[in-house]
Amino acid sequence: MTSSTRDLVDRLAEHDTPHLIGVRHHSPALAAVVPTLLEAFAPEVLLVELPEESGRWLPFLADPDLVAPVALSGASPDGDLAFYPFADFSPELAAIRWAHRNGVEVRPCDLPLAVRGDGRRGERQGASPLTDALRRATTGRDGDDLWDRLVEAAAPGQTAEAVRRAALLVGWALRQDAEGAGVDPFDLRREAWMRRAVRRTDGRRTAAVIGSFHAAALLDGPVDDSSPGDTDVVTSLVPYGFALLDERSGYPAGIRDPEWQQAVLEAAGDPGAVEAAAASVIVRICARVRELGHPAGPGEAREALRLAVDLARLRGLPAPGRGEVVEAVQTVLTHAEPLGRGRVVARAAGDVLVGHRTGVLAPGTPRSGLAPAVEALLASLRLPGPDSREREPVSLRLDPLRSELDTWREVALRRLAVLGVTYAEETATTGVGGGDALTTRWTVAWTPATAATLPVAGLWGATLELAASGRLRARRAEREQKGGHTPTAVLADLVDAALCGLPESVDTLLADAATVLPSAGTLRELLSALDLLDRLRAGHLPGTPGDVLDGHPTLARELETAAVAQLDGLAGSEDVADARALVELVQRHEVHGLRLEACLRRLADEGAPLIAGAAGAARVLLGSVPPSALGERVASWVDGAGTPERRDVLRRGLTGVLAAAGPLLETPEALSPLLDRVEGLADRDFLDRLPALRGAFTSVGPAARARVLAVVEQRTGERVDGHGTPDPELLAVWLDAERAGVDALRAHGLLTERPARSVGKMPESPVAAVSVSGALPVGVRWRLVLGLYGERPAGAARYAAALDELYGRDRGEGALRGDLGADRSSPFPDVREWSEELRDLFGDHVREEVLAAAAEGGRLEAALEIDPGSVRPSVELLRNVLSLAGGLSESALARLRPLVARLVRELTAQLANRVRPALTGMQLPMPTRRPGGRLDLPRTLRANLATARRDADGRVVVVPERPVFRTRGRRASDWRLVLVVDVSGSMEASTVWSALTASVFAGVPALSTHFLAFSTEVVDLTERVADPLSLLLEVRVGGGTHIAGALRHARSLVAVPERTMVVLVSDFEEGGPVGPLVGQVRELVASGVTVLGCASLDDRGVARYSTSVAGALVAAGMPVAALSPQALARWVGEKVRG
Amino acid sequence: MTAPRQVEPAEDAYREELAFLAAYDSGPRPPGWRLTPRAVVTFVMGSGDVLVLPKGVSVDGVPSRLVISTKFVGERALVERAVVTLAGERGLLLVGEPGTAKSMLSELLAAAVSGSSQLVVQGTAGTTEDQLRYGWNYALLLAEGPSPRALVPSPVLTAMRGGGVVRVEEVTRCLPEVQDALVSILSDRRIAVPELSAPELSGPDGATVHAAPGFTVIATANLRDRGVSEMSAALKRRFNFEAVGPIGDLAAETALVRRQASAALERVSAPFAVDDVVLEVLVTAFRDLRNGISEEGWAVERPSTVMSTAEAVSVATSLGLADAYFPGDRDPLSLLPGHLLGVVRKDDPGDAARLLGYWDGAVRRRAESGARTWRRLWELRDVLDA
Repeated sequence: MTSSTRDLVDRLAEHDTPHLIGVRHHSPALAAVVPTLLEAFAPEVLLVELPEESGRWLPFLADPDLVAPVALSGASPDGDLAFYPFADFSPELAAIRWAHRNGVEVRPCDLPLAVRGDGRRGERQGASPLTDALRRATTGRDGDDLWDRLVEAAAPGQTAEAVRRAALLVGWALRQDAEGAGVDPFDLRREAWMRRAVRRTDGRRTAAVIGSFHAAALLDGPVDDSSPGDTDVVTSLVPYGFALLDERSGYPAGIRDPEWQQAVLEAAGDPGAVEAAAASVIVRICARVRELGHPAGPGEAREALRLAVDLARLRGLPAPGRGEVVEAVQTVLTHAEPLGRGRVVARAAGDVLVGHRTGVLAPGTPRSGLAPAVEALLASLRLPGPDSREREPVSLRLDPLRSELDTWREVALRRLAVLGVTYAEETATTGVGGGDALTTRWTVAWTPATAATLPVAGLWGATLELAASGRLRARRAEREQKGGHTPTAVLADLVDAALCGLPESVDTLLADAATVLPSAGTLRELLSALDLLDRLRAGHLPGTPGDVLDGHPTLARELETAAVAQLDGLAGSEDVADARALVELVQRHEVHGLRLEACLRRLADEGAPLIAGAAGAARVLLGSVPPSALGERVASWVDGAGTPERRDVLRRGLTGVLAAAGPLLETPEALSPLLDRVEGLADRDFLDRLPALRGAFTSVGPAARARVLAVVEQRTGERVDGHGTPDPELLAVWLDAERAGVDALRAHGLLTERPARSVGKMPESPVAAVSVSGALPVGVRWRLVLGLYGERPAGAARYAAALDELYGRDRGEGALRGDLGADRSSPFPDVREWSEELRDLFGDHVREEVLAAAAEGGRLEAALEIDPGSVRPSVELLRNVLSLAGGLSESALARLRPLVARLVRELTAQLANRVRPALTGMQLPMPTRRPGGRLDLPRTLRANLATARRDADGRVVVVPERPVFRTRGRRASDWRLVLVVDVSGSMEASTVWSALTASVFAGVPALSTHFLAFSTEVVDLTERVADPLSLLLEVRVGGGTHIAGALRHARSLVAVPERTMVVLVSDFEEGGPVGPLVGQVRELVASGVTVLGCASLDDRGVARYSTSVAGALVAAGMPVAALSPQALARWVGEKVRG
Repeated sequence: MTAPRQVEPAEDAYREELAFLAAYDSGPRPPGWRLTPRAVVTFVMGSGDVLVLPKGVSVDGVPSRLVISTKFVGERALVERAVVTLAGERGLLLVGEPGTAKSMLSELLAAAVSGSSQLVVQGTAGTTEDQLRYGWNYALLLAEGPSPRALVPSPVLTAMRGGGVVRVEEVTRCLPEVQDALVSILSDRRIAVPELSAPELSGPDGATVHAAPGFTVIATANLRDRGVSEMSAALKRRFNFEAVGPIGDLAAETALVRRQASAALERVSAPFAVDDVVLEVLVTAFRDLRNGISEEGWAVERPSTVMSTAEAVSVATSLGLADAYFPGDRDPLSLLPGHLLGVVRKDDPGDAARLLGYWDGAVRRRAESGARTWRRLWELRDVLDA
């Protein structure tokens, strides 16, 4: 400290009009010495830095029956607010209590709330040479709190006067630096008012307990002599809690770790007592960590305390401060694992250091706070309140975008809803054309329940706005404590905050969204967030101006970038919604970039058919490939669709392309190759492909199909359903005759030409609309592909009816219109008949596909029609049948069992043949020249016999130049394999493969295999693992995803970590926060378990999964891959063999 | 005159500073320490100002005024905690991403505390218990039977005898059963040699080697090796953990990269001619990709590869060498995207896509805001998507 600095501090300390006690709002060091200081100075008047209006509360605040913490708050009509939480360690409270005990007059001296105006302007960063110098001298941590270092940590063992001087010094240094950039005018106004309060003491002996920042300003300066106008400011005194007082709760004017501050206050400046408090805190943290299931014994506690005390000594402090305790706990207990153990320790430290004390007001304190505020507000909004005569619920229709009163009503009702106050209920409304409604409907009533729930909500704040934002803040803090934000929760809160008109909460949550969504959001969550941003920007949410987004200018772009990053994880998707999301993302015009292009190219080339189709269409929309290229790709699917697998590719691929149907139709050249094929195929080929084509077109909804039809009509130049189509009966006769002829030719080997051509020549165009290659006219074909339910094109009515059975139920745009006048009756009395018709019309192989598709669509009877004896076993079929099994009665299940049994048996046998070789063999100790294991004496002797010689005594001595060792042998037995399988989605192929693979592993003697199926609950199906049939029938799909819970259960199965493998099969779309999930993975990895994540376990090797969460797990030590069962078996074999 | 060395060990490189600090601070020292704890902190963090020996103290070959250079760029509190841990004779484990100067810090601490940083065990999958306890000269062992003469002490055993600091580098790369040899050493502070337990064979200490006061272990572990061979809970409980993070400040990191890259070029007596602007762009890109958030606060998708300061130094050195050996060929900035791609694309093919995402995001935005170098980088984007 230079001498000039010392002089200045001397001047401050010796000043006695008033006597200056510079404090910080919460400061155990000052709170402990304030009574002593006041005793010594013995003032007649005490000034405290509280707004004038708070005067009426001072007697209640000083009441000995009051238990801190409590909070004093005030709001002027325009919402401007001051908030003063008090704890025992608040110097102001200590001073007020002292004054009350000693009968000294207390006067608030801060600027009245009524004249505060706009308050503080934004933070201004100036150079801070003085505080920097002080900081360098005292502390080693970056961004350290100067006050904590110089006043709090240094205080134990000091005299009261020394503490006061240290506080004045810090305040002065902060002020000096602030003056560099100019002190906030608001502070200057407050100080002018404080000087006026000093002047009005009229020379009586005065002490001022004020912020140490302001101390220097009380020496001299202009005085504010204006008299405040009469404004009604509402002040209130309410009980408060340590949980809210902690700075991290998000409430204003808090301090970190109140329980620690309380302990320091109780130590009353005695270094030994502070050290004892540190010891007690550390021991309690260790105990809490043990309670949470992690080791932390007295040894660690002792070391943490030693570290804290020695650190304090190294830094020249009399006793460890909060910083030293926290550092020591971190170093000794967290093991440098910020996510796993670190979170546990942080939670334990939070529980111990924050504490749960709550305050109680003294009896006789007047009623104040939320309830009166809400009653007044309701009255001013002309809504039913406690005094209104109306007892019946009132129906309201609000139009917040037109009427200002309605805006305020809407916001008030939303806020009450967020607070959980029983008052108003929203009735659902739908806007014109199914869009967002702009008006809202409510049923409102003031009931006794309202009166009962309001005071409960009053804990969050003293006005409706404060309470609502407090509630949202509490939800946020709760999430943080429970392990972190989830995209879903953040989005839900964001919507609530926006509807409640709380721009500040929206701002915070937008910041959360900016961190959480890119790192953990799925593509759909990202898109819905983008949609919400659009609505905010457009100002469609009453009470929240669009300019809240100004603070986050890059958020939309970041979300788009994150969405692009998610695309990689779509490669294996078979969900149309994913295809639509992909197209929707591409259509947001801002997102174009290198990465999107590269990613779409990869998806189009390597993705599963559905997503490849959508990516191809998206590339056309972006203009990176010409539409004709996509057209050719689609046409090639049609050409290749000769086998059931290829037809499946056609159906899924075309569905993907059509996800972009609307915009694509504007570029007909993308569709024309497809149109050519449909028109040019032979009848038989066309009919083979018809179910696939129709299935794909069904996905887009009738209106879009009608548009395709329009394109077709334009092309062919006539109405396809026009007159002049050939007589259906005649057509059927031609077809039959023609096929019989061709078959006869083929049977005799006379058919050399391609049948399509020969067929094509036979009906010599009786009508122009008949296609060149087949008997079914172009128009009829398109009707069959695109037709609405119940439409029976002349000449193909039976085909249409047969397919209507499957594809008739339309959804999507225009579906409702299809209802009108259409024939909704099922053309078939039962499935058996339908199935026979299918066989007649399409042949056996196509029939099976159609039935499987029907089974997939929920038609159980269709599955029963499939013949177990002749069916071609495939995982697809098994999966479709199984997806029905969930809703079956035992008797229905019994009928399905033979089919499933055969499928499972065949598939397991096939799989076992492929997988077993990977699982055999083990390793024995091997001889080696590398020193490592034990010395292999016999081998060493044999290898060194050449050096044998007799020494002087005649003994034989061998000089072992080349010693031989044995490698460490590994026991290959007793490995435990835990398969943790996500069954939250539909019955995924991965689930089926997992069960089959598990049953193969169950047959390997060296492995004990466990099978856990999980959604939000975990089911241990281990005892059924050897019997895949019952295993598969036992699995119930559906529900949310809670991977962390499943892994926690898996961890309980770990007996010998070194010989345990945990294989997680999931899409990684975790429903809970990502933090605990990563923590579980780290725990597993840290305990030595071998872990593997399978984004998919099937024979394709592409997966659909959340790349962000998977990335986090990879960083936590769990490799993630899309594997085939063989690859998994190879991996298991390698691990077991070591 | 010894033969020139590629790298000087810390105790030789800073011989003068160590001797000065020993004379400068004569306060109480933990047993076996060469310096006081405070002086060790000063040695690592640097003194900033000129230090003057107290009056009446003078040591041969030591100047009376000296500025202690800054060797470790990072938080002072971290070094303080590390020193206090060692002063308590407890094991210190430094963990962090690769390239965050963990090994350098452990070397400096060992040199300052016990005057030697040479007792070191490098952890690999092939490290055996012999290297942590003791081995045998097998020829002697077979010829003469077990004797103190045939015993080959490990660096750990040597440090125990002398009361010094032993360093175990990359401890998590050792197999778990090998790591666990450290458990008994850290808790019992002795190593029993049962082969020498026959009374006529054991030396003055008997068959057990006891640790002299001052013995302690500094281990380093790499966060990226987590899961390769994780430490057992028993071993973890015997260490205090310090996480060494990347450098927090852009200017400090740029300066460090420049300093180290220049040093590498000095050895071939070529000037380091890479522009500061290019270096800053390089370091900024590394920091953005490492932190997952750009200087401006934009989110950046992190590649799975480590983007350490050490990697930045090697890229800067490559740029400098390219400029020194192929002068006027191409400007260093145009080489930068290729180098970045080389650093990023190591194991996960998805990382190349993430780099593209970085170009789409931060690089493009900076280019749009008119920064000339970033605009040039944006123009060079074709290098990446090849």
